[in-house]
Amino acid sequence: MQLGQTDNKNAHNRLLDPGVLSSLSNLELVAKAVVEGFVMGLHRSPKYGFSQEFVEYRPYAEGDDPRHIDWNVYSRTDKTFIKLFKGETNSHLMILLDTSASMGFGVSHSKLQYGKFLAASLAYLASRQHDAIGAMIFDDEVVQYRPPTSKSGTLHGVIHTIDSAEATEGTAMHKPFTRFREHVKKRGLVAVISDFYCDPDALMESVRPLALHGQDVIMFHLLDPDELNPDIKESTLYEDMESGESIEVDPIFMKQDYPERVKAHIAEIEKTAKGMNADHVLINTNEPLDRALHSYLTFREKRA
Amino acid sequence: MSLISPLFLFALLGIALPIWLHRLQTNATEREKFSSIMFMEQSQKRVHVQRKLKYLLLMAMRILFLLLLVLAFTRPVFFAPPEGAVTEDTTHHVIVLDASFSMLEGNSFAQAQTLGQELADAMGADDIASLYRASGTVDIITATTTDPSLIRSGLNTIEPDYGRLDIGAMVTALDSLIANSQANFIIHFISDFQQSGQAVRFADMIPDVINGRPVALNIHQVKTENVPNWSVASVEITGAGSVRVGLINNSTSEQSAERTVSLSINDVVQQSLTEIFAAPADGVSYITFENVIFEEGDNRLDVTLTPNDSLPEDDVRHTVFDNSPPAPVILLSADPESLAVTYLTTALETAPRGYQVELQNINDFDPRILQRYPWIVIDDIGAVNESLSQALQTYVDSGGAILAAAGERALGLTNIPVGGQNIGGGLSFSRATTYNVQGINTAHPALDSSVGWNNLAISRALPIQADDNSNVLISLNGNVPFLLERNIGLGRFLLLNTSLNNTWSDLPVKPVFVSFIAEAARHLSNEALLVKEQVINSYLQLGQNGGASGQVYDPDGDSLLSLADTTQAQSIQLSDPGYYRIVTLGLDSLVAVNPDPRESDLTLMDTQALQNWQTMVAGSAGNTELVDGTVITVNEEESVAIEIWRVLLILLAVIVLAESLLGNRYLRFNTGNT
Repeated sequence: MQLGQTDNKNAHNRLLDPGVLSSLSNLELVAKAVVEGFVMGLHRSPKYGFSQEFVEYRPYAEGDDPRHIDWNVYSRTDKTFIKLFKGETNSHLMILLDTSASMGFGVSHSKLQYGKFLAASLAYLASRQHDAIGAMIFDDEVVQYRPPTSKSGTLHGVIHTIDSAEATEGTAMHKPFTRFREHVKKRGLVAVISDFYCDPDALMESVRPLALHGQDVIMFHLLDPDELNPDIKESTLYEDMESGESIEVDPIFMKQDYPERVKAHIAEIEKTAKGMNADHVLINTNEPLDRALHSYLTFREKRA
Repeated sequence: MSLISPLFLFALLGIALPIWLHRLQTNATEREKFSSIMFMEQSQKRVHVQRKLKYLLLMAMRILFLLLLVLAFTRPVFFAPPEGAVTEDTTHHVIVLDASFSMLEGNSFAQAQTLGQELADAMGADDIASLYRASGTVDIITATTTDPSLIRSGLNTIEPDYGRLDIGAMVTALDSLIANSQANFIIHFISDFQQSGQAVRFADMIPDVINGRPVALNIHQVKTENVPNWSVASVEITGAGSVRVGLINNSTSEQSAERTVSLSINDVVQQSLTEIFAAPADGVSYITFENVIFEEGDNRLDVTLTPNDSLPEDDVRHTVFDNSPPAPVILLSADPESLAVTYLTTALETAPRGYQVELQNINDFDPRILQRYPWIVIDDIGAVNESLSQALQTYVDSGGAILAAAGERALGLTNIPVGGQNIGGGLSFSRATTYNVQGINTAHPALDSSVGWNNLAISRALPIQADDNSNVLISLNGNVPFLLERNIGLGRFLLLNTSLNNTWSDLPVKPVFVSFIAEAARHLSNEALLVKEQVINSYLQLGQNGGASGQVYDPDGDSLLSLADTTQAQSIQLSDPGYYRIVTLGLDSLVAVNPDPRESDLTLMDTQALQNWQTMVAGSAGNTELVDGTVITVNEEESVAIEIWRVLLILLAVIVLAESLLGNRYLRFNTGNT
């Protein structure tokens, strides 16, 4: 199937549905399906840099994919130039995926699974735009780290890294973000995918240095519908998936007070993000992925 | 505790099942994982804790249920010392209270009860006691106990009766009742100690010493002096309208006394005579009532002494005088003019009882009247035809009796009508054959007092083959039965294997014939079983075929036999003074019952005899310091096994109920909220 030959909305919506995606075992295939479906829905908008319209040449720099060298120019000038098209930037995308235990929560599918889909889709999308991509899997430590690069095979490696992530320990933003600062000096885009069950002030302390370093941060705040509006009929003993602590709550509290507290927390996180000039995108894990991708493209466009 | 079936303990592994189920349930329902509880707040109402406790309680109940069930199957047994377990310091006070007729005299019995109360009060802390009532029998009133109040309350329940106490019999009964006790004994015997209650053999009054245990006898006598007591010793009918009454003074303390003697016939006072009666050498003074008018049948004669003495219960004596006309009896004969009829009629009419013979021609006899007669006579059994035989069979079955003889008409028979015995081998008889009596069952009531059978000249007899159901009472040589009896249903069939016309034998003309007919009549009419005068607590024989089988009414007119007992009871005890009425087939008779005259003799045992008795009892134990309990030999204490499976079953039922209620409540909790 060729891009643009069909605009079947139902088909692309179906492909973006996390419920459908969770039945696919190959994350790369998921990412491809999501992005292709998503792109089809964009109606060839040049705004987002997916046209093949030539813009300019620029000299080849280390780290660029050699496949993009225009060999015709090289034969005439004996110099290597990279051919740039509209929508392309000389940027890189670093995906930070939270694999803390709380990310394992979810009624139909876990937040981590959704996060994986999102991360893979972002990587695929960035790859299409010839951005360098990297990934870091973290909980309260850095579990895996893959530096951003646009070399051939990077997408496959990043998706494999994302695919191997498992929900394990608690969440602590400080260490992973410090590590990130130490390794990534170049300015770029940073997509943090997490449920952000942490202290907003501590989050600010962790993320602010990135912002000050010139990184453009987008925070994908994943929450399950049951976390936003829990529905219980009787007193229930809840066990924290990260700390293992238990607490008994009554249904009235969970129906009235709890959603308010969660909303307040989200607002705090959003406020924190704004304070760092970062974007905050709250995502219900029952939603299709296109809104998240939209948010990313908008963000990228703004920061390009 | 020990277990009878310990292998069932392996079933305790089943307790793992409820634990496993509860664990599953707890894991499945109690906790729910959530991403973060950082925004949650502890519920004020700890429903979960309550539910958890409820779960634990439910599980505990189920485990307990299984535990009890397994335990019940293992049949646990506890071994507890028996009640009144003895130690070396334990003394067993065996309190025996005389409640015989003589204790009705004056305030004897009240004094006896007071003495018993004092004994109960004096019981030591380590002592045990048991209470027995002694009269005609020895009954346990209070089992071995350490509680004196039980003894006191037991004493209050005892009342004297009309029975006679024989000390020898009492000691024998007591031996068996206390045989299982392991303590050293003190037998406290509270009585008036009548001389007449003393055993014939002094040794019979010494209790057995079991396992060398010491026994002491403490005698508590309620009175120490002889008390005069006049009573009616005898009532005799000496002639037509003449009644002789014998009075006796049962004590030597009074030589003469003025008494009014009244004679009542059937509750109507006929005559009263007042005299000063002296106590003669033989102890009996007589007075005679003349011109006494009796009614026909059994007459109730009540002789009463007034004024009453200190034992008024023996101042009246009940007697029965049978003034019945001769009893009717049917004589069935085919030849009313025969010699057999003459001999039988004469013998029956001259019997002491006297019978009125109603001669009937056997060929014209209507069997429907048979039920009016307790017994009948047939002079020749061979004259009984088949239809009459069946009627007679029914008659005997229902309790009637037949005295029959062989005769010329029986010669052609192959078996005896009614009796059913075979007449063997078609043998014929000739005068050439002679017989001798070879065996006599003298224990049989019909042959009780008749002698002379061996002198009979017997020339003919039917070769009857006695079967297993026939009882040969007199046999001839060659094992030929001469007199045999067979019980048929409730009645009897008595067959004399000779003709009664003086041709087969000379029996009809011998004296033994008259006495035999009288005895046989008494036996067949069941009069032999009936003694018209009895003492209290004696037994009236009620053999299944006896005259008393029927109904018996006590002096108050209440029937004593249930419907089943009317034909099955063998005897009945006569426990009250007065007149018992016995009604049976063709018989309606009275039996007079009086207290044993020996109980009226209030002469006390000699003091020396009492001391000897006490000493001999202690001496038989080989130790005279018994009361102190310094030397005892106590058997190893025997434990009493107590099984508790019944208790466990009750607990199981309670647990099941509680578990059901709790489980149901928990179920309601779930359904009500979800």
